[in-house]
Amino acid sequence: MQYQVLKKSSFNDFIASLARIEKVVAPVARGYNTFSFQEVKDGQDVAVKYIPTILPPKKYFFPQREKLIEFNKSAGTLEALLEYEKMVIFGVHTCDLAGIQCLNMVFSDKPKDINYLVRKNKIIIIGLECNEYCDQYASCKVVDNHLPNGGYDLFFTELTDSFIVHVNTIYGDELIDKTRLFNPAEQIHLDQLEAVRQKKREIFKDEVKVNHNDLAKLFDKSFDSKVWDDLDARCIACGNCTNVCPSCYCFDMLDNLNLDLNTGDRTRMWDGCQNEPFAKVAGGENFRKTRGARQRHRYFRKFKYPVERYSRYFCTGCGRCTRTCMAKISLKETINALVDSKEEKK
Amino acid sequence: MKTAKLTDSEYLVKAGKIIRARQMTKIEKLFEISLPGGESLDHEPGQFVMVSIPGVGEAPLSISSSPTKRGSFEIVVRNVGKVTNALHKFDTGDTVGIRGPFGKGFPVQILEGNDLLFVAGGLGIVPLRSLINFVIDNRRDFGKVNILLGCKTPQDMLFGEEVDSWSKRLDVNFDITVDRCEDPDYNGNIGLITKLIPGVTLDPERTFAAVIGPPIMYKFVIIELLKKNIPERQILVSLERHMKCGIGKCGHCQIQNYYCCKDGPVFTYDQIKDKKEAL
Amino acid sequence: MSKPRVAFFDFTCCEGCQLQVANFGETLLDILNLIEVVTFREAMSEKSEDYDVAIIEGSITTEHDVERIKHIRSRAKVLVAYGSCATIGGINGMKNKFPLDEIGKYVYQDKAKHFPTLPTRAVHQVVKVDYFVNGCPVYQPEFVKVLKCILAGIPYAVPDYAVCVECKLNENVCMYDKGITCLGPVTKAGCNSWCINNGNICYGCRGMVTNPAKNGQMDILKKFNIALDWIINKLDMYNKPRELDERK
Repeated sequence: MQYQVLKKSSFNDFIASLARIEKVVAPVARGYNTFSFQEVKDGQDVAVKYIPTILPPKKYFFPQREKLIEFNKSAGTLEALLEYEKMVIFGVHTCDLAGIQCLNMVFSDKPKDINYLVRKNKIIIIGLECNEYCDQYASCKVVDNHLPNGGYDLFFTELTDSFIVHVNTIYGDELIDKTRLFNPAEQIHLDQLEAVRQKKREIFKDEVKVNHNDLAKLFDKSFDSKVWDDLDARCIACGNCTNVCPSCYCFDMLDNLNLDLNTGDRTRMWDGCQNEPFAKVAGGENFRKTRGARQRHRYFRKFKYPVERYSRYFCTGCGRCTRTCMAKISLKETINALVDSKEEKK
Repeated sequence: MKTAKLTDSEYLVKAGKIIRARQMTKIEKLFEISLPGGESLDHEPGQFVMVSIPGVGEAPLSISSSPTKRGSFEIVVRNVGKVTNALHKFDTGDTVGIRGPFGKGFPVQILEGNDLLFVAGGLGIVPLRSLINFVIDNRRDFGKVNILLGCKTPQDMLFGEEVDSWSKRLDVNFDITVDRCEDPDYNGNIGLITKLIPGVTLDPERTFAAVIGPPIMYKFVIIELLKKNIPERQILVSLERHMKCGIGKCGHCQIQNYYCCKDGPVFTYDQIKDKKEAL
Repeated sequence: MSKPRVAFFDFTCCEGCQLQVANFGETLLDILNLIEVVTFREAMSEKSEDYDVAIIEGSITTEHDVERIKHIRSRAKVLVAYGSCATIGGINGMKNKFPLDEIGKYVYQDKAKHFPTLPTRAVHQVVKVDYFVNGCPVYQPEFVKVLKCILAGIPYAVPDYAVCVECKLNENVCMYDKGITCLGPVTKAGCNSWCINNGNICYGCRGMVTNPAKNGQMDILKKFNIALDWIINKLDMYNKPRELDERK
């Protein structure tokens, strides 16, 4: 019962029957080798083979813009609001599962963020295994996210003519029951799964010159590295890297007054440390004035600060920041440059 | 998309009634605020609140009054941005939104029994005043108290009468300096606040220094304090950042691994001396 | 509270930004509850010299423009630069690439002397501007936002980060992924990446961010194999008068 099997020929039916039960979102091809999570009605809409989407599924847990407060000035009222939607997300890669786990830690850290936590509980997550690297930008092995590590209700792994599905929660189990398309896995499926994993252990190697466990130590010594000067010269502060990151969670708070000049809302909107005004204070002082300092901050927020606060890396290895960078700043190259510059000093 | 009302949210505000408003200078205005039902804000000296106006936004503002003042609290608003600009049009009887208090204030339990050296430059007097008045109201719990103040001109000194009353106390050593003064009758100190520090007699082992001022002031004041052999962990500073959430999430106030709104705004020099983006 | 009296004025422009107001549809009725429009050439024949808010469309290109904008500034409590021509000089600024005599002759030939002209300037390069509504044409939701700020008496800050920021939030496929050059990375946001959402590129109509990374941008042009003069031409389509700010 822990492992079920879905025939590939039943995949379209599976998505269609899911879509009759609940809103389903899944990766959809957008052309030019880009993808995004969107609502789907049928399995044919789903890009089962896809590279990380433009935005991670974070957008469903922590939307780009979210009303937190609604007010009515003349009535003197102000109420806290929760916007949510029940849905099933199909096809979440292990990197993005890790991203959601990171956000879970941040928003359940005290004081808790009720909006996030309630919304999260309305979403069922179906993971999907990458049997091989999606492209040259991925670095999931170096942060150990190439293999599933929880954070899902169901987890799909593609075998020859079927998917083997790990059932992780009762919510996942309910979907198996309701859709009636699954059969319990047999030994042959389990053997095939083991073969996939074995092959993955061979394919996925540390993508950088430093081991997973030594990354935090590398960053301990890298604050004053010349590498940041190089990024300072190259970065244009377009903000793409932070906006596409599955574990970035910075935001701004904005008030909006309706045209009656009486009612309105307080909304939080994604913000990013790469944006010029991000660390400015009222007097005009900017505590991270240079693009290099802001890039350094981004890297440290992935490899050092969260290790101290949450005991894990906040880089998920998805490679989105590298893929989207206008200046072609590469996460792997930056880490390797930090390793090299450390050695030069010796 | 469905919408539900939340009875519990970190973003809900309390209705703060302005019970007194006073224009202190051209750009600084003092507000005394009370919470519904006379509820106490229950803050520590050095903490801050998020003050909001619906439709305009929220701004982090230091609490200027001591917790020993019950029933209401005070903030000083310098007109520098959207929210503070709008706040300047507010007056007695108006209502603002209050969230908080937030952050770590001054560790008063640790300070008790020790000598204190207060150093405030410019607007730094606003948050430091919460601690100075707390100490004065509990004077016998503390050792020697030195207050050093600095501002641009004698006219720019905020809380003039109160500052005068501090200067007249026999249980407080007090000194003040201004950057410049055109009044020929002025016979006080002219120059940087750092110049006042060498003249203070203190026992470094049992002295805690509390320093608040513009970013540039910290560097030079701290050098002087270290020359006096005050231990790094006994130098307390309060750092200014533009907090948007106040609860350690939004990232705007982050200083390396610290969230200024949660781990600060009061830090020991020891905590931040190696944090390059702190000062 | 009496409604503020609002007057629209056009200088060197196509009046397309004012058309955006006329095109508001039902929102216009809500807006008219809040303001009294006293001068608006496109939609009404009445005119008034008594106004609180002056909304200026167009750039300043003649001595007569200079006198007229100074006069308006002296009468208005609040002055709004409205649209690309007014906020950054806009396409009229392309004129500044050529000697004035030459461009005059090119357009008016032997009648050029009857049309004296100045280098194109944005409104803030001549008089103080209180609010900026960028864009060619202006983005209606942003204009409404600015209008509400004017009514509330609070400042409006044009976002000082790239269009890319909003474009990513809208999850558009990046134009550079499509092999198309787009000015989003250097252009101020605030339009909710309106053009890219609709399949077009960013032409830079909102003006450049205040601190563009010059070296980084050059680097990018090289990487994407884009010729420098080509991109400068593209930028200059809207942004040429920016040089007048830089010289200050």
